[in-house]
Amino acid sequence: MPPKVCILRTDGTNCDLETFYAFNKAGGESELVHINQLRQGEVKLAAYHILVIPGGFSYGDDISAGKVLAVELISFLKEQLAEFLQAQKPILGICNGFQVLVRTGLLPAGKLGSVSAALTANESGRFECRWIKLKIEKNNYIFTRGLDNKVIYLPVAHGEGNFYTDLVALNNIEANGQVIFRYVDKNDRPTQTYPDNPNGSLNAIAGLCDPSGYILGLMPHPERFTEIFHYPNWRRSNLREPQGLAIFRNVVHYVKNS
Amino acid sequence: MALHEIRVINHPWIPDPKGQDVLYEIQHALGLKNITRVTTARVYRLEGISEKEAHFLAQNLLAEDIYQSYCLNEPVITNAMAVVEVAYKPGVMNPETASLMKAARDLGINNLIACDSSWEYGFSGPCVTTADINLILRRLLVNETVEQVVTSRSSVVGRQTSEEKQTTSRPTGWKPVLPNAYPASGRQDAYPTRPLTLVIHGSTQKTKIIPLRAMNEQQLMALSQDKLFLDLEEMQRIKDYFISLGRDPTDCEVETIAQTWSEHCIHKTFKARLIIDGREKIPLLKRLQQATQKINHPLVRSAFIDNSGVFEFYQGWAICGKVETHNAPSAIEPYGGAMTGSGGVFRDIMGTGEGAKVIASTDIFCFAPPDYPAEKIPDGCLHPHYLLRRVVAGVRDYGNRMGIPTNNGSVHFHPDFRAKPTVIVGAYGILPVERCHKGKPRPGDLAIVIGGRTGRDGIHGATFSSGEMTARTIEVNASAVQIGHPIEEKRVADAILAAGRQGLIRAVTDCGAGGFSSALGEMGAETGVKIYLERAPLKYQGLAPWEIWVSESQERMVLAVDPAKADRVLAICQALNVEAIIMGEFTGDRRLLVSYHGEVVCSLEMDFLHHGWPQKIKRGAWRAPIFEEPDLPPPAKWEEIYQQVMNHGNVCSKEPIIRMYDHGVQGTCALPPFSGANSDAPNDAVILTPLLGQRWAVVISHGLNPVLNRINPYYGSIWAMAEAVANAVAVGANPQELMLIDNFIWPVPEENFLGALDLAVDACVDFAQATGMPFISGKDSLSSTYRGKNNLVIHIPPVLCISAFGRLPDVAKTVSADFKKEHSQIVLVGCRNPIEMAGSVYYDLAGYIGNNLPKIDLTILPKVYQAIHQAIANSKVLACHDISEGGLAAALAEMCFGGNLGAVINIPAEEKAENFMFNETAGCFLVELDQKINPSSLFADVPHKTIGHTVSQEEIAAYRQEKLLFALPLAPLKKAWQRPMKEVFGGSITA
Repeated sequence: MPPKVCILRTDGTNCDLETFYAFNKAGGESELVHINQLRQGEVKLAAYHILVIPGGFSYGDDISAGKVLAVELISFLKEQLAEFLQAQKPILGICNGFQVLVRTGLLPAGKLGSVSAALTANESGRFECRWIKLKIEKNNYIFTRGLDNKVIYLPVAHGEGNFYTDLVALNNIEANGQVIFRYVDKNDRPTQTYPDNPNGSLNAIAGLCDPSGYILGLMPHPERFTEIFHYPNWRRSNLREPQGLAIFRNVVHYVKNS
Repeated sequence: MALHEIRVINHPWIPDPKGQDVLYEIQHALGLKNITRVTTARVYRLEGISEKEAHFLAQNLLAEDIYQSYCLNEPVITNAMAVVEVAYKPGVMNPETASLMKAARDLGINNLIACDSSWEYGFSGPCVTTADINLILRRLLVNETVEQVVTSRSSVVGRQTSEEKQTTSRPTGWKPVLPNAYPASGRQDAYPTRPLTLVIHGSTQKTKIIPLRAMNEQQLMALSQDKLFLDLEEMQRIKDYFISLGRDPTDCEVETIAQTWSEHCIHKTFKARLIIDGREKIPLLKRLQQATQKINHPLVRSAFIDNSGVFEFYQGWAICGKVETHNAPSAIEPYGGAMTGSGGVFRDIMGTGEGAKVIASTDIFCFAPPDYPAEKIPDGCLHPHYLLRRVVAGVRDYGNRMGIPTNNGSVHFHPDFRAKPTVIVGAYGILPVERCHKGKPRPGDLAIVIGGRTGRDGIHGATFSSGEMTARTIEVNASAVQIGHPIEEKRVADAILAAGRQGLIRAVTDCGAGGFSSALGEMGAETGVKIYLERAPLKYQGLAPWEIWVSESQERMVLAVDPAKADRVLAICQALNVEAIIMGEFTGDRRLLVSYHGEVVCSLEMDFLHHGWPQKIKRGAWRAPIFEEPDLPPPAKWEEIYQQVMNHGNVCSKEPIIRMYDHGVQGTCALPPFSGANSDAPNDAVILTPLLGQRWAVVISHGLNPVLNRINPYYGSIWAMAEAVANAVAVGANPQELMLIDNFIWPVPEENFLGALDLAVDACVDFAQATGMPFISGKDSLSSTYRGKNNLVIHIPPVLCISAFGRLPDVAKTVSADFKKEHSQIVLVGCRNPIEMAGSVYYDLAGYIGNNLPKIDLTILPKVYQAIHQAIANSKVLACHDISEGGLAAALAEMCFGGNLGAVINIPAEEKAENFMFNETAGCFLVELDQKINPSSLFADVPHKTIGHTVSQEEIAAYRQEKLLFALPLAPLKKAWQRPMKEVFGGSITA
């Protein structure tokens, strides 16, 4: 049976359908779930194997990106989320979803309700839409299994993706190997230089997971590279595989085998 | 009620990109070097809660102590030499307030009754003067239409109330500079101080009877000039109608008729009887529609009747497109104007058939050059540098937030757009063929209004400062352009799609210009409709019934729904946080009946409303202007002229704009605006695969060339169409399956300009017939003449913007513009006469316009399109780029940039080298072919010539009669090409 994927939507979510498609293509069974359905108890998180908070502008990025939805999750879904994690079910946050997860405290520390990092305004002061190169760190987590040290192309499209935390927390994150994706330059080295690093993130962090490894957040959009012709230069490259798909396949594979 | 102010600021060690961006603008756009630091902070005003609750919200919602700190009722920027707060004027809807209210409730704070948010700026540097601050406020930070500077009350920071701690002492170093020259026109005491309450009160105004029957001609015109904008003949027609009814009209009725008969809604000029040069011609709109009918294109499903034009896609799907202008609002308030422009055209798509999904957004702007001298900008007009940045920001924020990719567009510059810019926004959608026809309400169907609330937005002449307000009168700018609310519109879009999918929608339309009056009046035109106005959800109290009726508040849609299905529609809306109200029902009596709490405020026959207006007779004749025809010597320095052409506003790279638009959302983009080895080379059109997992593609492009229309509107218009289609064909589009949309943005069509308009329409008809491409949607905006002080009159160069869109069965059979490899042949395909240089960038740089403009041959052009399409469809083409502004030179350079490759070309001996390089005839292409392919095997039937080949060395080398004319490295050309928009949009960090 294909794993059931909860694609969580609310006002301003707008990458839900391509995320839906990506998980289905990867072998999952996607379902769009509005936060109202969870709040009213019509639907329970427990009915799903994977939770995704897709990209978009939840509540218009008002106050700060992802904040209003984070408040809603903390206020109304605390127990359900805790149960979900207890069961070692994966949670994925893409772009705005990553911002939401950081503002709930689930990333990077895995502590719901205790914010320990932020995705602040891009150093350029602007929304940036461009394809960038990412290196996948060597790690042992479910999302990128088999992809160690690979360099892939994905698009970013955000105005607030500048990962920041204090030195102690940063050292912890690095020591735990929680960083999964880093922005790299043309020589595949992590970079702080714009535009290869599109937002100025500390340690070129583009995506990371919590200490358990079951929660992943990333600013780039893997769901926008699920067909070869999504890549802007597919006409001049010999890429054979859409590079965003592997992440979704890994998650689905993990659920199927656990 | 307590009103608390919370100020939030980043920790000093955290960057402040917004402040840096403002600083960059201050130093670069305004040239003020004495300000060296700008600090920003957010201000939140929260009413009705206790101090403890304010702290709670600050800690749990407004500030994150990992990177921010906050102050309650105290200044937060304490180390700047001047601090200024910029806030929305009261009554201007701040989209953020709804989120603040919601989040507070979600946190258990239920007594927040009103709130607002704004920005505070601190300025520091060696010398911060009041004059500089005023200039910064006026030019960069404050738009008086919707925003205001908020000063501290009696120079005391924070609010003084008995129940709260007074903050009367300021921290050292904190010194507010009160801007005393700003606003330029206003009095200093016009500055609003910090508000004591955010709640807007008001009582409803009564419906008035207008004594129209007793009015003489003068009185009729006085009434019209104030607010109706109808001419005497129309006013007489209304008067006669009410004489025949034996009563006087209500204000609501007069407003309804004026709105329905407005140029904006009825297109009087396009429907007028036309006498051109003393000879009667078929009305403009009819001519366009007849051309489309005559072509009888098999894919067209709906042309000129619905909110957008529709053609059949594949496997039961249809594609629709609509392009709108939003010039006037964007000129006054570019950010809000551009946002509501985008919002409006998206709603046109959402309101097509039984509801469509918006899949793309386009934007095309015409401004004066961004470096145009500020002192030459006419009174009351905004500087183009500001306009350009703010319009781009508006398009960005609406499209990005709604999740609609903006991936096709252009920017044109000409000084005569300095008073009246042109802002064009387009949108495209997808919907099932079986639900793609314009729905018709049936008697008994319910009229359901969904989406945003109704306020005084966009109502002409209305003011909100009256004695009926609270004792502390709050100034409300009633005619304010709104700040769009894309999240509201996204919710509405989702609700319509859900209802449409379940077959619950009989008909749908958007509330745009004219508000309910237009939407419900048109929807019920064939049946009649009865509306209960008091049901309309309002943003605030105090609106007269006629104001509710004609308000242009955004993000509202009207549905006609079978009563048996209404509950399901309401349930869908509720589930998606969309407000939905049954406003009335469609009847069978062909009357427009509007009541307000039982009182009839409007009772009109639909027949009179929609068919009672007197058809105009318009006379025009175009007289060709004569411009000086230059006789220029050959370029002395090729390097210089090539760089100047690449650097010209109409040629230069627009990449910094495109990077701020999300063009990849929805996961459908298969050819982005920029690609190539460094992702910085432009493509001619966008290609989308709107059905995920399928290879069926939509191609979207456009073309325009305003300055050519000044020389000759017929050939200028042909050029625009040839360019729009060439852009689509260059990426692989099939010319047999392309649809066209026309947008005329014209000076007021008096004599000469009406003649020009007539010629432009003739050109459209001729082009459609020659190519077989139908027009399926269009719009005209005929008011781009500026009349200022001292008899200053500025006409824009007439704009015909043509959008082309079509379908392709396989996205794999498309190409980009970047050169792919060395040793390829470069082939010029198409018919051009290089001496036709008038209107070119090359002439413009020399200070000329000329008369001899490109006269594109419509007998050859369709064959060229077909040949290019066939070659691409057969996978023979490596890269293709069409020739437009900047000529072959610009096209060739852009192809080289994209490939990190150079080119060696041979300029034919019989042609002047500068004409060969810089002629701008549209409908010609540069094609990259593998060296093994014989070009004549692909292009035998059309003019073509191999002009050179690609090389690995990154330079463009040109030979003439075997002598090297020039060899220019790419890097400086690229730098010149990228510089202008980097300077406008670069900000503090550039690539």
